[in-house]
Amino acid sequence: MTGIQVAPGGRIDNFIPPEGVPITFNLASRGSRLGAQILDILITYGSVTLFIILVYWSGLMGGAPLTALFLLLTFFIRIPYYIVAELVWNGRTLGKRINTIRVISANGRRLTPHQVVARNLMKEVEVFMPITTLFAAQDLNTWAGLVIAVWMVLVLLVPFFNRKRQRLGDMIADTLVVDMPKAVLMRDLSDSAKSTERQFVFNPEHLEVYGQYELQVLEAILREPPKSQDGYDRVRKVTKTIIRKIGYTDPVPQIDEWKFLLEFYKQQRGFLENRHLFGDSRQDKFHADEGKRSQPEAAKPAKSDAARPRRSRPPRRSE
Amino acid sequence: MSASPQGRETDFETLRSARFRKEREAGWRRLETLIATAEKSGVRGLSYQETLELSGLYRQAVNSLSAARAISMDKALLTYLDRLCARAYLVVYAPQESIGDAVWRLFAQGIPQAVRRSGVALLIGFLAMALGALIGYTLFQRDPAWFFTFVPAELADGRTPEATPAYLRQTLYDTSNRSGEVLGVFASYLFSHNTQVAILIFALGVFAALPSFILTFYNGLLLGPFAAIFINAGLGWDLFGWLSIHGVTELAAICIACAGGARLGLAVLLPGRKSRRASLRDSGRDAVKLLILAGVMLIVAGLVEGFLRQLIHPTEWRLIIGWGLGLIWLSWLTLAGRGGKAS
Repeated sequence: MTGIQVAPGGRIDNFIPPEGVPITFNLASRGSRLGAQILDILITYGSVTLFIILVYWSGLMGGAPLTALFLLLTFFIRIPYYIVAELVWNGRTLGKRINTIRVISANGRRLTPHQVVARNLMKEVEVFMPITTLFAAQDLNTWAGLVIAVWMVLVLLVPFFNRKRQRLGDMIADTLVVDMPKAVLMRDLSDSAKSTERQFVFNPEHLEVYGQYELQVLEAILREPPKSQDGYDRVRKVTKTIIRKIGYTDPVPQIDEWKFLLEFYKQQRGFLENRHLFGDSRQDKFHADEGKRSQPEAAKPAKSDAARPRRSRPPRRSE
Repeated sequence: MSASPQGRETDFETLRSARFRKEREAGWRRLETLIATAEKSGVRGLSYQETLELSGLYRQAVNSLSAARAISMDKALLTYLDRLCARAYLVVYAPQESIGDAVWRLFAQGIPQAVRRSGVALLIGFLAMALGALIGYTLFQRDPAWFFTFVPAELADGRTPEATPAYLRQTLYDTSNRSGEVLGVFASYLFSHNTQVAILIFALGVFAALPSFILTFYNGLLLGPFAAIFINAGLGWDLFGWLSIHGVTELAAICIACAGGARLGLAVLLPGRKSRRASLRDSGRDAVKLLILAGVMLIVAGLVEGFLRQLIHPTEWRLIIGWGLGLIWLSWLTLAGRGGKAS
C-alpha cells in the first residue's frame, strides 16, 4: 500500500517524490475526467471519419482497401491511441491536455510504460464495452440485459465510490489523475508596507492575540484591494474587529484603514514567524488555551505541516 | 544569507521570510521558463546546459519549499512553491526510456518471464477452452439439437448438422478466387475483432476471474459441436488442418488472454498476506504482459487466417505451418530472457 492520503476536497497531502519533500497535488474532478474522455472519443472518431471521407473523395483508395484501412484505424483509436498518447506526452491524451489534467504514478516515481498500458487496457471494459452495448441497446430488453446494463453503470461509477477517484484501471496500475498544477507567484504583501516611518506601532500584547490561521485569512483579504463601496465597508468592518480584538488604542483615520491592515499583517507575520522559529507555533487564536490546557505541549517539536491552517477545529471545551 | 553590516537596517525593515524569498526568486523564475519550454516541446527542446540547470533548479526549489514551510507564513508563497515543485517534478520525472527500448525489453525478457511465472493461470486458461470443447462435443454427439443452443446462426453460416458433406468440404477449401484486396479486409477484420474479444476476456478477469473463464469456456463450447459436425461427415482430418494453420496460434492467444484475466481474478480471490488492491497491482504486471502477448499472437493469427489459409489448401502444409508457428511461440516463451534480471 502506498500511503497516499486524500483530504475530502481531493487534495493529496503526502505525495512524496524521491527528494523526500511532500508536494501537494489536487485530484482531477470526475467531471473533467469524463469531459476529457468524451473529448478523446470525439477527436479520435471524428478524425478517423474525416480521414476516411477525405481519402474516399480524393479517390486514392476505394472499396476493399479503404474498408481494411478503416477497420485497422478504428482498432487503433480504441486502446493503442491512449497508450501511445500517454507514453509520449507523459500521462496526457489530447482530451486531458485540453482539460489540463494528467496521470501520475501514485508511488511518487515516474510513470512507467507498464502503468500506462495497464490502466488503458481496462478501459475496454470500463468505457468502450458499456458504450457499445448501450448504443447497440438491442439486448437490453431481457432481464439479463438489464442486469448487464446495471453492472456496467456500476463499473462506470467506481471512481465515485473511492476517495482517490480511481477507476479500476487506475487501481491496477497504481495511478492517479490530477489537475495540472498552475504556479502563479503573487507579490509579497509584507513588501508593500513601505512607509519610511512606521505609522502604526503594535506592541507585543497586540500581536499575542491571533495565530497563523487568522493571519492567512487576513492575507486573503489583502490580496483583493476593495473596488466598490461594499469592499470599503468590508475593510472597515475587518479593521474595527481587529482593533477591538487586539485592544489597539491609537486612532486609525478612515483613510488609512488599508495601510493599517497592511502594517498589521506585516508585523503580525514577523511576530508569528519569530515565535515559530523558537518552537512556539500558533495555529490560530486559541493557542493561549492550548498552552494552558496541557503545559508540556509547548515543548512539542514544530510540525512540518504547520504551514497549513487547520480549518476544522473542534470547538473550545468548557473547563 | 546577506548578513552584511549595512544590511542591518533593511533586516529590521523586511521580514526574514521576505528576504528568503528575494534571494531565491530569480532562480524560481528561471525554473518556470525552463519548465514551460520542456512542457511544450519535451526535454528534448532543452539544450544540454539547460537540462543540467533544470535539475539543479528543481532541487533548489524543493529545498526552498521545505525551508519555506518551516519559516514562512506567506500562504501565497507556499502555494506557489508547492505548485512550482509539482510542475517541475512532472517534467523531471518524465519517462526516460525510448519506446523502442521499452518494446525490445518487453519482448526479450518481460513477456517470456511473465509467462513462466503464470503456470496456474495458464492452466486455467487452457483448461477452460479444452473443457468447453469436450463438453460441447459430447453433448452434441448425444443430441445434435444442442448445436443450435450453442452456436448462433450467423456464426454457423450454413455449417449445421443437416449440411451435406460436400458443402462442408467446400467451406474448408474455399476455392472461389479471392483477390488479395478482399483477403486484406478479411485479415484486418479478424484481427480487430479477435483482439477486442481478447481484451474483453482479459479485462473481465478482474471480476474474480469467472467472466474470463466463462467466455473462454464458451469459445470452446462453440468449437466442440463444429468439430463434431465435420468429424461425423468424415472430414475430421481436413478440419484439423483447416483449424491448425491459424488456430494453434489463435486459440492459444485466447487461452493466454484468459490466463491474464485469471491472474487478475486470482489476485482478487486469493490475495494472501497482501491487501487485495496491492495484490491486484502486483499481478497486474504479469497479466498485462500476457495480454500483450495474446495481442501479438492474434495479429499473426489474423494474417495467417486472412491470407495463408485461403491460399494454401494441402492439409499437410496447413499442419506444418500451424504447428510450426506453435513451436516457434513455445520455444520463444520457454527459452528467451533466462539470463537477464527479472523485470
